[in-house]
Amino acid sequence: MTHIAPRAVTSGGRRRPGGGGPRAGTVIAFLTPFFLPFVLFYLVPVGYALWQSFRVVRRTGGQYGTSYTTFGGFDQYTQVFQNSEFWNSIGRIGLFGIVQVPVMLFVALVMALLLDTPLLKLKAFFRITAFMPYAVPGVIAAIMWSYLYSPQLSPVVDLFQRIGLHPDFLGPGAVLWSAANVSTWLWTGYNMLIMYSALQSIPQELYEAAKIDGATNWTIAWRIKVPIIAPSIVLTTVFSIIGTLQLYAEPAVLRQISSNISSTFTPNMLAYAVASGNNYQQAAAISVVIAVITFVLSFGFMRLTSKKAGL
Amino acid sequence: MSKTVTRTRLAAVATAATLVALAGCSSSAPSDKASAASCTPAKGKVTLQYWNTVPGMDKVVDLWNKKNPDIQVQTKNISNDQYGTLGNALKAGKAPDLAQVGYDELPALRTQNAFVDASACSAATAAKSKFVPWTWSQTSFGGTGVFALPQDTGPMALYVRSDIFKKYGIAIPTTWDEYAAAAQKLHKADPSLDITFFDPNNAEWFNGLLWQNSAQMYSYSGDKWHVTVASDQSKQVADYWQRLIAGKLVRTDLANGSTQMYAAYQKDQIASYVGAAWGYSMFRDNLPRQSGKWSIVPMPTWGANGASGDWGGSTVAFMKGSTHLYESVKFNTWLNSDPEALALENQLGGLYPAADAGLKLPALSKGVPYYNNEKIFDVFADSSRKIDTNFAWGPTQKTVNLALQDAMAKAAAGDGTLTDALSAAQAAALKSMKAQAIPATAGK
Repeated sequence: MTHIAPRAVTSGGRRRPGGGGPRAGTVIAFLTPFFLPFVLFYLVPVGYALWQSFRVVRRTGGQYGTSYTTFGGFDQYTQVFQNSEFWNSIGRIGLFGIVQVPVMLFVALVMALLLDTPLLKLKAFFRITAFMPYAVPGVIAAIMWSYLYSPQLSPVVDLFQRIGLHPDFLGPGAVLWSAANVSTWLWTGYNMLIMYSALQSIPQELYEAAKIDGATNWTIAWRIKVPIIAPSIVLTTVFSIIGTLQLYAEPAVLRQISSNISSTFTPNMLAYAVASGNNYQQAAAISVVIAVITFVLSFGFMRLTSKKAGL
Repeated sequence: MSKTVTRTRLAAVATAATLVALAGCSSSAPSDKASAASCTPAKGKVTLQYWNTVPGMDKVVDLWNKKNPDIQVQTKNISNDQYGTLGNALKAGKAPDLAQVGYDELPALRTQNAFVDASACSAATAAKSKFVPWTWSQTSFGGTGVFALPQDTGPMALYVRSDIFKKYGIAIPTTWDEYAAAAQKLHKADPSLDITFFDPNNAEWFNGLLWQNSAQMYSYSGDKWHVTVASDQSKQVADYWQRLIAGKLVRTDLANGSTQMYAAYQKDQIASYVGAAWGYSMFRDNLPRQSGKWSIVPMPTWGANGASGDWGGSTVAFMKGSTHLYESVKFNTWLNSDPEALALENQLGGLYPAADAGLKLPALSKGVPYYNNEKIFDVFADSSRKIDTNFAWGPTQKTVNLALQDAMAKAAAGDGTLTDALSAAQAAALKSMKAQAIPATAGK
C-alpha cells in the first residue's frame, strides 16, 4: 500500500546492486526548475520576513524625519507576545479549529466511505458534486455565502422568517460559525477525495477475506478501511490545521457585511492590518509567530498520531 | 471616489506574509525636499508614469498625449491594491512620477519618504489659486511645500426622501438637533422606518462628520505630533450618534454601498442618507424607481458652526524619484484644473472636482432629472467652500480608521460606546506612532 504522508527522507536509500545512481548533473538538471522558483519565491521571502522581524524603525528628527531601520533584537516579538489582540485572534482561531476541523473531516470520511461502497450508483456524479466547491476560489465562495447569510437578501433567512424563526447568521456569537461553515463547504469535498483515493488503493482481497470471516459492511468500514487510510486522515488533519491558522479570505469577505468581524479577527488579518499601518517589522514578527505555532501544532499532531496511524 | 473596498479589490488582497516579504527596509534617504530642486524643462521627449485608480483615466491621458507629443504619459490602474502597490514600488525605488493618493493617506506616505516637493517649480506654487482652499491646505501640508495637487473631493450633504418627510408632515432638518427630533417623529409614525443608518465599518464617513465639527485629530508643535482623536468636538459627534443608536433610531446593520443598503432604501425603510458628492450617481443608478423622490439639501449643522464635512477624494502626488519635475507639474496642473480634462474625468470617472474651474463645469450646473431637476451640484459646491481648512490628517490615519471601525462595531452591538471607540483609536494611533519612531503625545 502507498503511504501518502511525507516521510523523513533517509540518506542513502538502497541502491540496485551494480547499478550506479543517476549522475549528479542529471539530478540537478531535473531539480532546478523546481528549486529555483522555490528558493526565489519561498525561501528568500521567508528569510526576509525573519530578518525584518528583528528590525526596528528609527527616525531622524522633525515632523517628517527620514526613517531607517536598525537591529532591535526580540523587540518586535516582545510586542507580539504582549499584544492581547493577537492572543484573542489565536483563541478565536483555536475555537474555530477545534470544532470545524473534526466536523469537516468526519463528514468527509463518511462521504468517502459511502462513495466506496459497491451499492452506490452514479459514483462519478457524487464524486464530482462533492468536489465541486473546491474549484470555487475561497473569496468567491465567501461572497456567495454572504448573500445567503444576509438578512436583507437571503432566501434562506426569508424562509426561516416565514416560519417564525429569526436566525442572525452575522451576529456576534454566530459569525465565527458562519465563517466555519464556508470553510467546511469549501474543503469537505477536497478532503473526501484524498481519503477516497486512499480507499481505492486497498486491495479487494482484504474485503473478501473479511467477508469469509463473517464481517459486515459496517465492520469492514470501521475495522479495515479506516485504520488502513489513517495516514491520509492524519494528512488531511495537518492540512486543515495549517489552513485554519492561516484563515483570511472567509472572515475578510464576511467583514464587508457584518460589523461583528473586527480587523484583527484572525491572526493573518491582524498581520495585514498592522502592515497596512506601515508597521512592516511588527507584521513580519506576527507572521513568524503564526508560522512557528502552525509548525508546532501540525508536527505535534503528526508525532502524536504517527504511532497509531502506522506512519 | 467611493472608499468602500470593492469586492474585486478583496480578491486581490495580498496576504500579510507577502506584504511583509515585499516591504523592504528604508535605507537612509535625503529628506523630501527635492534635493536637486531642479525645475528645468527636459530636452527632447519625456515619458511620465502616472498610476491611478480612476475609471476612464486612460481616455483623459490619451487626450493629453494627443496634444503634447513631447510629454507622453503612461497610465497604470492600481485600484486593486493602491497603497500596497505604491508602498512596494517605493521600497523598490521604482515609484512612478505621479500617483493617486487619498487626502487621508498623504501624511502616512510622507512618513515613508514618498514625495518630492514641487515648490521649486513656480507653476506648482502658482496653482494654489485654482483649488478649493481646504484641498490645497492638505496637499501643501499647511503651505510648507507642494507635494500633490488636489483632484477630487467629497463635500457632504443630506440626501432626503422628500416624499416621506412630506407624508408625515416633518420639516427637512437643518441642524443635527432637528435631525434627531425628526428621527423620533419618523420612527413614531412608522416603526419600520429609520431616518438613516450608521455604518460602523466606515471610519472615512465618520471622519467626515468629525471634520464638520472642527474636530482636530492631529496637530504638530514643539517637535511632536499631538494626537487629539478623542477631543471634545469628536466626543460631541460620537455622543450624538451613540444616542441615536441606543434609541434604536438608526439602523446599524447596513454597510454603505452594499446590496443590502440599497435593498433597505428600495423597501422605503430609510428616509435619508448622509452622503458625499460622488454618491449622487449611486442612488440614480441603483434605485431607478425612486426617481423624483430624492432631494439633496445642506448637511445639518452644529448650532452656530455652519461648517460642512468632506468624505473621500484624492490627490495626484509628486512621487519621490521623479526626474522630470517640470513636465510632471505641467501635466498634473492640466489634469486637475483644465476644464476639458475635468469634464472628461467627471463624465467617465464620476469625479467631483477639487478645482474651482471644475465646480463651474456645464455638467455640474444643470438640473439633474433623477433629483427633480434640482441643481444638486450647487448644494455640493456650497458645501465644498464651507469645509474647515484647518483640518489635517495624521501619519497613522489607517490605523486610526481600523481601530475606530473595530470599536464602533462593538458599540453598535451594544458593547461600549462610540466615545470609547475614539479613545481606542487614540491609543492605537499613539502605539503605531511609537512603533514607527514618530514623536507623539496625547492631547494638546
